[in-house]
Amino acid sequence: MKYTHCSLFSAIKRFGILLPWNRFALLLVFFCSVNVLQAQIPDTSATQEEDYSQYETVTFTDAGARRYCSPKIFDLSPQRFISLAWDVQTPYSSRFSLPGAYSPDLKQGNDGESATASYTGGFRFGANIPVVSRNNILWQMGANFWDTRYNFKDLKTQEGAAGLTQILDERGLRTMGINTTVFKPLGETTFLLFQGSADLSGNYTLADFQSLRYVRYSAAAIWGRRPNDRKQWGLGISRTYRVGEMNYIPVFLFNYTAPSRRWGTEILFPARAHVRRSFNPRNLLLVGYELEGQSYRIAPLSAANRSWEIRRGELRARADYQRKLSGFVWLSAQIGWRYDWSYNVDALGNDGREIFRGFSGSQTYAMLNQLGGALYFNIGVHLVSP
Amino acid sequence: MKNLLLFAFLAFFTGISTLNAQDAGDKLLGLWEPSNGKARVKIEKIANKYYGKIVWLREPNDPQTSQPKLDKNNSDPSMRSVPLKGYRMLKDFVFADGEWNNGTIYDPESGSTYSCVIKAKNDNTLDIRGFVGVKALGRTDVWKRIQVK
Repeated sequence: MKYTHCSLFSAIKRFGILLPWNRFALLLVFFCSVNVLQAQIPDTSATQEEDYSQYETVTFTDAGARRYCSPKIFDLSPQRFISLAWDVQTPYSSRFSLPGAYSPDLKQGNDGESATASYTGGFRFGANIPVVSRNNILWQMGANFWDTRYNFKDLKTQEGAAGLTQILDERGLRTMGINTTVFKPLGETTFLLFQGSADLSGNYTLADFQSLRYVRYSAAAIWGRRPNDRKQWGLGISRTYRVGEMNYIPVFLFNYTAPSRRWGTEILFPARAHVRRSFNPRNLLLVGYELEGQSYRIAPLSAANRSWEIRRGELRARADYQRKLSGFVWLSAQIGWRYDWSYNVDALGNDGREIFRGFSGSQTYAMLNQLGGALYFNIGVHLVSP
Repeated sequence: MKNLLLFAFLAFFTGISTLNAQDAGDKLLGLWEPSNGKARVKIEKIANKYYGKIVWLREPNDPQTSQPKLDKNNSDPSMRSVPLKGYRMLKDFVFADGEWNNGTIYDPESGSTYSCVIKAKNDNTLDIRGFVGVKALGRTDVWKRIQVK
């Protein structure tokens, strides 16, 4: 479209001499071309200095428009669309009790099996995609799949042992699930946050799948405030399997970034709490802990009327270094200590119904198990969100 | 003579339709506020493409230096001394098929640039979707039109 009036004129000349009609036509073309060219003239004002103070006081053109708080604050670690990680632990000792009925007050059951877990690890995949993204509501859906494999050595068993060591060695444990997050801003500084997940955990394989009636549900609801771009806090309640068995506990959210932008916190207590050191927007370190757990159904131990589930809960004290690799791909590398919170077994009804023991329930465990602590490493690559 | 008239009318209607398309695209022009309210952006047209520059910041000064904020998170070191106020965070948008596309959006907080498509929900509301590779892997922010009091 780079033409000039001269080229237009010469084009017209090719069609004939300038008669009165031709003059009219030329006028039309001239009129059109002037308009088109006007639209193409660079807006030089954009590069000139302007008085920015005029934009201090504004009003929404749409009288009904409102401002809502953002779900993020400055410098939070990036949200992940897609994650693939490998998690591995150093060797540790394991002691599984004989099957029985053990009071929650007991520290240790009757010895059934002991061994050294020479390998514990596997791949972890996660995805989290925004479904609705508007000022007044954000809704995301996600899915995850974790595979944990075990190898044991130096196995010692007593008569009547359940054989859990061998079961874990043969099939390992898996968990897969879906989750959802809804962020609902109520105004410029207050918000509601809801998270829910449904997970199917056990020693199943895709070929020998587990009934969906053993899906376990977790949820959290938080009311919070975001007074400024550096602070976000909230209080709420959660139903969680973070310590292995289902529990209802209060939660406290506290995300903060210091004015220097170098330090901050990312806390959703008690599930996780980290201090953040930002070296720059592409490079950060989190130091803290996370509670991690699920309830895994063990099919070979379950009978027609009983479902045996390992209540795996562990505390991971860790340093988590995250850095941008290129574009939107980030690397994370964790090193930490995995502390066994719970590896006990509950014998539940086979209808999939849960029990609530809480902090003071007296329901007995079917097995009381202990795992030694272990160093763990986790390395992952992630596609992060804008 | 006939040829000349035909040419004139063709040129006239081409010009009109071109102007109509440009007019439709020009409804993007003006002042806008992202959902987080942290900035105000003025969208302008330069040589048939649309650009948006930051004209106001809720926090105009860097708390560490008390000086006007610079683009210090830019991955290009030569850009880190450029003031954020006046920075073109929306670039190279072309209006076609009812939306503005082929452009990019820059996030000064992370120093990252994303592919971006803009849709007008109405005259005063924009859906601005930054994405990574494919549109499904993105996040939409809703911008509201504002006007100087």
